[in-house]
Amino acid sequence: MILRAFLVALFLSPTALAGTLQADQSAGRLEFSAIQAGAKFTGAFTRFRVALDFDPAHPGQGRLDVTVDVTSIDTQDPERDEVLRSADFFWVEKHPQAVFRAAGFERAGARWRAAGELTIRGVTQAVPVTFTLAPAASDGPAVMQGGTTLSRLAFGLGQRDWASTGWVGDAVDVRFELELRPTG
Amino acid sequence: MPARNTSLRYGPVAQFLHWIIVLLLVIQVTLGTIADALPLGLERLVMMSRHKSLGITILAIALLRLGWRWFDAPPPPPMPRWQLLAARCNHWALYALLFALPLSGWLTSSAANRPVSWWGLVQLPDFVAPDAALKEVFEETHELLVNVLYALVALHVAAALKHQFFDRDGLLLRMLPGTRE
Repeated sequence: MILRAFLVALFLSPTALAGTLQADQSAGRLEFSAIQAGAKFTGAFTRFRVALDFDPAHPGQGRLDVTVDVTSIDTQDPERDEVLRSADFFWVEKHPQAVFRAAGFERAGARWRAAGELTIRGVTQAVPVTFTLAPAASDGPAVMQGGTTLSRLAFGLGQRDWASTGWVGDAVDVRFELELRPTG
Repeated sequence: MPARNTSLRYGPVAQFLHWIIVLLLVIQVTLGTIADALPLGLERLVMMSRHKSLGITILAIALLRLGWRWFDAPPPPPMPRWQLLAARCNHWALYALLFALPLSGWLTSSAANRPVSWWGLVQLPDFVAPDAALKEVFEETHELLVNVLYALVALHVAAALKHQFFDRDGLLLRMLPGTRE
């Protein structure tokens, strides 16, 4: 299906994906899940912007820029959100944004792979994100779905007591589903 | 020694289930009270998690105990009818709390989007979706029920001591290990 979508994009409507596509929180979700005290919970960021330049004929020239307002973190638990916004985790007063930038995509089986750099809490790390992209049908949006797995400690998310992984796991799964539309 | 109750006293299984729940409840309310007083932080998370795991453990033992009680009926207590009725009511109310307390705590956790893990081994299902208003309702219910527990346990203990030391009818010995028949 992805391949067909790809071929449709490539041969039948070559402009469907060319140019810059955009999305924000009004047309998508950016979620994460992690293990807390042995149980998995899910949270989200409710404010973010995404810009994608993607031409399937030239994936190497593609670009993906994501800016996340980390103050918008929402785990449906005000106490946990307070801790996550504090200096022990995201330190939102000093680092209100997280940024992901990737230049150039490559095939990864049925998905695309963007080897980009993610900056959280002032720390930049190489992070590969994989995704699928279903091109726009007529005037509908293109749909981008994907995710990655991060080490929270690699970004300093968890200072002092929270640096221990016994009660809060190091691995954080990030997932996104976005409806992208052309700019302008 | 037979495992079951005799007509005069509780058997070792019923005694064990009674006293293990007493012990675990003492630890449980201590953990809960300490955790509740702690500021936000890892220590609070750890204490609260142990409180939840122990609560689920008590719930499981309470189920076992109810099953055993159904299989092995309690010996009829030697007391006037009104006291018998009062004791029965209090016993069933205490059983109800052994279920309502862990369940209200579990629901509080689910509504707060803090799923419960049993000692880090098994993640329990959530019967309600995260909901801040619902969380307040369950949490306040949980706290109210703790106070009901204190009151009913006080009544239960006072009645047992009154029978033992004022009426001198040997009631307390029915729930204590020993050779005396």
